Amino acid sequence: MPDAYDTLPQPSIPPESAWDPLPAAGWDRGAAAHLLRRAGWSAEPESVERAVREGMELTVERLFAAGGAVFPMPGPVADLERDLPDIQRAARQAATPDVRRQIEQEARERSRSALLDMTIRWLEFAAGPEESARAKWVLFLSDVYVVAFEKVPRPFLLYRHFDLIARRGLGPAPELTKAVSRSPAMIHYLDLDQSRREAPNENFARELFELFLLGEGNYTEEDVKQAARAFTGYRADPSGEFRLARAQHDDGVKTVLGTTGRLDGDQVIDVAYGLDAAGSFLPGEWARFYLCDGGIPGPWREALGRRWRAREYDLGWLVRTLFSSRLFYAPEFRGQFIKSPVQFYLGLVQDLGLRVMPVPRLIASPLRRMGQALFDPPNVRGWVGGRQWINSASLQARRALVEMLFSRLNEDALDADERMDLGIARSGGAADFCVPDSLLSPLLGLKPEAAVDRLVRRFLPEDPGPAFREALLAYLAPAPANPAERRRRTKRAAASVIESPHYQLC
Amino acid sequence: MADNSPQPAFPATRREFFHRSASALGLLAFSRFAPAFLVDSTLAGAPAPERDRRILVVVQLAGGNDGLNTLVPFEDPDYYRLRPTLGIPKDKVLATGGLFGFHPACAELHRLFQDGRLAVVHGVGYPNPNRSHFRSTEIWETASGSGESYPTGWVGRYLDNSCAGSPGQDRDPVAVHANTLNGEPLSLVGAQSHPTFGLSPYSGLGGREAEESRRLLESIAGAAGRPGREADFLKQTLMDTLVTESRVQAILKAYRPHAVYPGNPFAQSLNAVAALIASGMPTRVYFVTLNGFDTHANQLPKHANLLRVLSEGLATFQGDLESHGLDRQVLTMSFSEFGRRASENESRGTDHGTASPLFLLGSRVRGGLHGAPPSLKIPKNQDVAFTTDFRSLYTTMLEDWLECPAGGVIAGSFPKLPLVT
Repeated sequence: MPDAYDTLPQPSIPPESAWDPLPAAGWDRGAAAHLLRRAGWSAEPESVERAVREGMELTVERLFAAGGAVFPMPGPVADLERDLPDIQRAARQAATPDVRRQIEQEARERSRSALLDMTIRWLEFAAGPEESARAKWVLFLSDVYVVAFEKVPRPFLLYRHFDLIARRGLGPAPELTKAVSRSPAMIHYLDLDQSRREAPNENFARELFELFLLGEGNYTEEDVKQAARAFTGYRADPSGEFRLARAQHDDGVKTVLGTTGRLDGDQVIDVAYGLDAAGSFLPGEWARFYLCDGGIPGPWREALGRRWRAREYDLGWLVRTLFSSRLFYAPEFRGQFIKSPVQFYLGLVQDLGLRVMPVPRLIASPLRRMGQALFDPPNVRGWVGGRQWINSASLQARRALVEMLFSRLNEDALDADERMDLGIARSGGAADFCVPDSLLSPLLGLKPEAAVDRLVRRFLPEDPGPAFREALLAYLAPAPANPAERRRRTKRAAASVIESPHYQLC
Repeated sequence: MADNSPQPAFPATRREFFHRSASALGLLAFSRFAPAFLVDSTLAGAPAPERDRRILVVVQLAGGNDGLNTLVPFEDPDYYRLRPTLGIPKDKVLATGGLFGFHPACAELHRLFQDGRLAVVHGVGYPNPNRSHFRSTEIWETASGSGESYPTGWVGRYLDNSCAGSPGQDRDPVAVHANTLNGEPLSLVGAQSHPTFGLSPYSGLGGREAEESRRLLESIAGAAGRPGREADFLKQTLMDTLVTESRVQAILKAYRPHAVYPGNPFAQSLNAVAALIASGMPTRVYFVTLNGFDTHANQLPKHANLLRVLSEGLATFQGDLESHGLDRQVLTMSFSEFGRRASENESRGTDHGTASPLFLLGSRVRGGLHGAPPSLKIPKNQDVAFTTDFRSLYTTMLEDWLECPAGGVIAGSFPKLPLVT
């Protein structure tokens, strides 16, 4: 089958030198802002200055430093994990089918609400400037090693899956893959828990090769069937711990990807990592997640794949190499990548100096409409990204989110739980969940031309050109005499810059 | 056109564009920056689609529908051999007077079949089947062979061949999608850019502020910037969205269905499709997705639910169209990237398979069973062989329904089926 990558435009830097570090002369404000936006969510002026001062190497080290904070399990998720055995017992012992259904219904509601809570907590965590790059890296790896709430309605298992990725996401890749094969969420998501010696289920083995490790075309149907045997008997205890059910495990001789032996699951993963395709696969996924629509052509992936294999698939080395590479900073990739919904929202939060609004209905639902429900990607391929984020419905949803953040939060419309969540979030000190008037005040004192300039420079990754500025100016000038009207127009102008096509790019 | 001219260098809105082009401003001078709706509608210069033209509704059963348990060969002992626990018992099947019957959750589809408005084509697939969801979906959406990769979808190429905009009027979407997981389906992507629209249950801003917001955004979004594929794509999509958005919202709000649609997103999407059709929107193709057919484990209740949603949704849609007198204009066709393995797996589910039956619904459909049922005389874990190539269906839809020669859309020649009356 022809490789879809074959039709991609060729990067301006040839594959042999694409992965060399950017020369120091290339490190400037533009490069630093590009790194901060792409590795994280936004480029704050102060962060850009700091990065320029410290240099590229130190900045990349700092962004991905090991041993940073970990995302803690949210309370409602832990509570659900604690209570679920009792709930299930109560359902089994229910006096009538109606009572049982009611108990099960309540359990489903609790799972959903724990998921939404986890979504908000993760966004709050990831919005922290110190955590942004590592959180995004975990989001990237979870978009390769996909699990989804739709099939695994156990938020605590999804949490553990993310947690294991976070803990191993900068170590050796084979260790990560092996840990993922034992992740209870994965075991359920791809039906390993249904896979027995007598009846291997192919689902996990197929996606392991197609979507996690090698890519289509690098294995045969027979490899899938044989590999499936090696993963038989993988189980998760009710407590959420991995165990190998020996009686269900096929320890016979198999031939997978040209290697024959009594292979177990870990050995199948090692065999797959012995293939060149394993080296170039993840760099290709990285490019599609971080760099450009559609990714990069084969020779570029392969050039990096060879070097990465020689480093024994060290993910830490990979991440430093990727974000320091000449390719990453090439001019054709600057300001020309469509933001994911999560990047759009968290970038907005950081750009506007907001806190994540702790109301799932107002944040998690818009993310879903924009096409990115956290912990619940649409299918095992994960989010395709790039242009796929954009269609009329998702653009409407992006605009609606901006309008919500630019209007005053109507707390009367919230329910009691939501008001309580707001109260708790505010108890830590003053917090803005929506754009405060104080943010606009500095603009109000400026002449319209200067206000336009400020808005454009602050929010857009590339200069949008004179016609854009003129259109904005035609709206703001002459400044209305009435202060309220002046404030309203300034706010509308800021919202429009953020709803414009230019702000959707990073 | 100096940058300091009092007017923006490029027309910011459709209205302004037409105004200015009337005053003889050259279009090609800025075609590189102009939104798609401006450029290709002017270049094409073809008449607007007529209101009473035929409409195709494509329903995607995403995940791989278990065809064997949808249209059940209940007289075939091999079926029960391959499906010891998942087989639908003969006395539960909704019989059709022949060797096949419907899954009990398909009562409404069964009724439409009995009335002659539903056709089922046996064993639709393609040679050298691929069992990857994504690759096989791509094959179906692009109408490629198993070993080929096309950048465009079959509906998109149909639009390339037959559609043109209507300069001077608001240009409505020629294709609309609803309830899809990943935005615009590849099916709708053509070599040229066509206005499409994604229906969202969300309704945007209202009132004066909304209109002002739309106008300002139109004026800055239309402004030229550094040209680039992504930036241009975003501009085009946003400009088209802004214009269509207000119009579609008004249509959906005003529509009074003559049937009660179930509350699920699939049926609600069909409700919206009916509203747009009734409004006289010149959209030729609608694409609606029903997700969740990847039933690897404990399939029976899940599959029954999905079929119920499908059956109720389609029947309500058909009834609504009929009572609005629109039914002779609309034909609905289902597809799924593959069927499932004939033999059930050990998890009370089914794994990825190959061919499966496909539905056609409408008052102009020649009802009944079409094509040849695939043989089930196969060993455990082997797949059925397809009997009708899916491109035969596409060719039939293009030529006999949409009245477009299939030659420019489908590579290769595939025999048509007598499906349209």
